[in-house]
Amino acid sequence: MIYGDHTTGIIVQGATGNQGAFHINLMNQYAQETGGRGVVAGVTPGKGGQKVHGIPVYNSVREAMAEHDATTSVLFVPGFAAGDSIMEAASAGLELVTAITEGIPVHDTMRALAFARMEGCTVIGPNCPGTLSPGELKLGIMPPHLAMPGNVGIISRSGTLTYEVINELTRAGIGQSTVVGIGGDPVIGQTFTEVLERFESDPQTKAVVLIGEVGGNLEEEGATSTNLPLVTYIAGISAPPEKRMGHAGAIIEGGEGDAVSKIARLRKLGIPVAEKPSDIPALVRELL
Amino acid sequence: MKLLEFEAKEIFQKYGIPIPDGVVIRNPDELRGHLNEFSDEVVVKSQVDVGGRGKAGGIIVTQKEDAVEAAKHLFSFPIKGLIPKAILVEEKLPIEHEYYVSITIDRTTRQPMILFAETGGVDIEETARTRPEALRRAGFSPLLSEVPGFLMRRILGTAPKELGPVINNLYKAFCASDALLAEINPLVTTSRGVFAADAKLIIDDNALIRQGITANRDLTPREREAEENGFSYVELDGSIGVIGNGAGLTMSTLDLIEHYEGKAANFLDVGGGAGRERVMKAVRLVAGMPDVKVIVVNLLGGITRCDEVAKGIIDAGIDQHVITRLAGTNEDEGKALLAKNGYQMLETMEDVVKQAVKEAAA
Repeated sequence: MIYGDHTTGIIVQGATGNQGAFHINLMNQYAQETGGRGVVAGVTPGKGGQKVHGIPVYNSVREAMAEHDATTSVLFVPGFAAGDSIMEAASAGLELVTAITEGIPVHDTMRALAFARMEGCTVIGPNCPGTLSPGELKLGIMPPHLAMPGNVGIISRSGTLTYEVINELTRAGIGQSTVVGIGGDPVIGQTFTEVLERFESDPQTKAVVLIGEVGGNLEEEGATSTNLPLVTYIAGISAPPEKRMGHAGAIIEGGEGDAVSKIARLRKLGIPVAEKPSDIPALVRELL
Repeated sequence: MKLLEFEAKEIFQKYGIPIPDGVVIRNPDELRGHLNEFSDEVVVKSQVDVGGRGKAGGIIVTQKEDAVEAAKHLFSFPIKGLIPKAILVEEKLPIEHEYYVSITIDRTTRQPMILFAETGGVDIEETARTRPEALRRAGFSPLLSEVPGFLMRRILGTAPKELGPVINNLYKAFCASDALLAEINPLVTTSRGVFAADAKLIIDDNALIRQGITANRDLTPREREAEENGFSYVELDGSIGVIGNGAGLTMSTLDLIEHYEGKAANFLDVGGGAGRERVMKAVRLVAGMPDVKVIVVNLLGGITRCDEVAKGIIDAGIDQHVITRLAGTNEDEGKALLAKNGYQMLETMEDVVKQAVKEAAA
């Protein structure tokens, strides 16, 4: 529970779009199953007064917060407007924004993150599946039925690959404390380093699986920053240089950020690197 | 998307960065009408988007009488396999000194980062190796509209102050054009002032629409078709077609193929909501690559409907065998449908990959 628990009230920004409405429903189903508060309000400018799956919609985050006790938002606003929505949430005083949106221009993200930081607001994402603390809180779009509560944290730049790893761990009987999808964009609000910091002060988390991919060096930075036992996996060992592998941030540029050198650097730090996702549970078990 | 030198220079000029006098030609004869605009020496530059263009022979310095011949040569001279569609002919500058400057986005600090070197005209990696003391970098808040003066002084050190306004204008061009990289190498000083002798600009693919760019030129025709269908797609050169959902899972599937000594033909991420129609289109697209012998479909999602995916695979009606791993709802219905039509559905991604590698090798 590093980003909230069952008492956390959620606002969904971009509530009336297909994605927003669909996931309000799924998040509230999960809240009902786990005794959480779930989504208490939605925001879409110009759509105030409507309801989505029984949840009231407001024109602004400020209006929603005046009527409801909420500290966090999950954002499904389209890419061209998402940077603005992050700043709106931060300015209204929310503590945490989870930006699911894919396709935000990176200059918008950069400015929105700088603004949010000045307002004291934490941003997860963009281009991420959100977070899941099994049995407590789901912020975003992760399928919760694969997960089970436990002591292993997961931090990942990917979505479905994370579900694969959750699935492998659960099948091996290893539960998860919190699963954090930090996002596939080159510029993201919470990097491995920052999430690991939160895991360090989380009594529930005993070890962390770090799932990275080609592009940048945030994995190595994170790995050097923590004393927590880690298992890592890096996707993209077969990725060609200078090609964007699905994620905006997954690109080997100017000979930097390739999987082979990432893996070599992690191994040099003495950190186990799984060759394939199915090897992860056995490596985790060795740490526990 | 990468811009060509002359396109980047047009943008730089709009933001007040001086560029050499020059002309862009689409065939050698076009140059004849422009020769009188130049004094004696000219630089003829192939407009291809590859690094090391100069070393590869893509830049010719010549007397203007011989410029048409030089252009003729470059129009049929491939550089790393690329033939230029355009050539830039410029005045030869009376260069006094060459510098390097670029602006990128630093992932760690999430800020614009200026990189400046006292030696330009060579690879920045080379400078980093041979003269690290000549390199200086500085990051600053993206909420600022200009490079702060104290940082500019730190970056420039003993280099001429006249470079400052050019670097500041480069930052403005970088922001206004949604760039991931804006680079001038070399940035040169001459008796007539400072000039951008070369120019490089990479635009954020997520901002192409608002930059007024309709088609991403970096993509192959099949990659563009995939993009229009909302897929992320990269062509590779193996014989195992790959379709997955999510960039990480799809990459991991490719890695697993390599792990079991197979070769993937492509990367295709169908994205969220893999329904019947999208799956059919994806399967057809991958099956259309000439070397594909077998296709792996690896979809994992809480809300993926396996029966719909199965119908999409069957609808595609392709010749190659499709081996699937589907996890979601209605798994049994999907499996039965696929089996009835001669396709296989296996439990794990490892099973699927091993089977595909075996079939591709047969």
